[in-house]
Amino acid sequence: MRQEKHTIPPIQQWAAPVLLGWLLPGAGHFYLKRWNHGILLLFAIAGMFGFGLLMRGRMFEPQTGDLFTTVVHWGGYIADIANGSLYFVASWLGYHQDQLAHAVADYGTKFLVCAGLLNILAIVDVYEIAVGEKP
Amino acid sequence: MYLSLTHLQAALLFAFFASIVLGVIGRNSDKERIRYGLGVFGYFIAAIFGLGWLMYLGHG
Repeated sequence: MRQEKHTIPPIQQWAAPVLLGWLLPGAGHFYLKRWNHGILLLFAIAGMFGFGLLMRGRMFEPQTGDLFTTVVHWGGYIADIANGSLYFVASWLGYHQDQLAHAVADYGTKFLVCAGLLNILAIVDVYEIAVGEKP
Repeated sequence: MYLSLTHLQAALLFAFFASIVLGVIGRNSDKERIRYGLGVFGYFIAAIFGLGWLMYLGHG
């Protein structure tokens, strides 16, 4: 049986759009001149992140303990970081929310995490466009 | 400033934003993207109301 050889495309081809896409949602698409897609992604991801803040969602911090605690906190932290500059600016401006017993704040926490996860999808999309796997 | 939303409002807002992203990255032509985005939004709505009724009826 013949096996296809997959090679990683040269880093110069995709590093800049991927990095920009992480730093600012949609910026990778702007770099590749996909203006409409970039605007829509920026609007949707920044919008979700903004509503998460307005609902007083909590940012995750790395924490270890039992397996569930470790997975939830590290997973949430990585997803929050995936928001790029949105996360860093909010943290830099002093946004901090302790765990609250409000349902709305809990929704806000999910909004912040999901905005990061959606940005990861956008980064994968920009990578595929940059290396020519997607038209 | 604190935004207090109901569960329904938060779920609709989530569906709106998530559908835009999934629509943009999910297909290869603009027509397909719009159709896919609207479809995803419709599935979100169906899931919100379907699960809502299921929980209401299951709760007794």
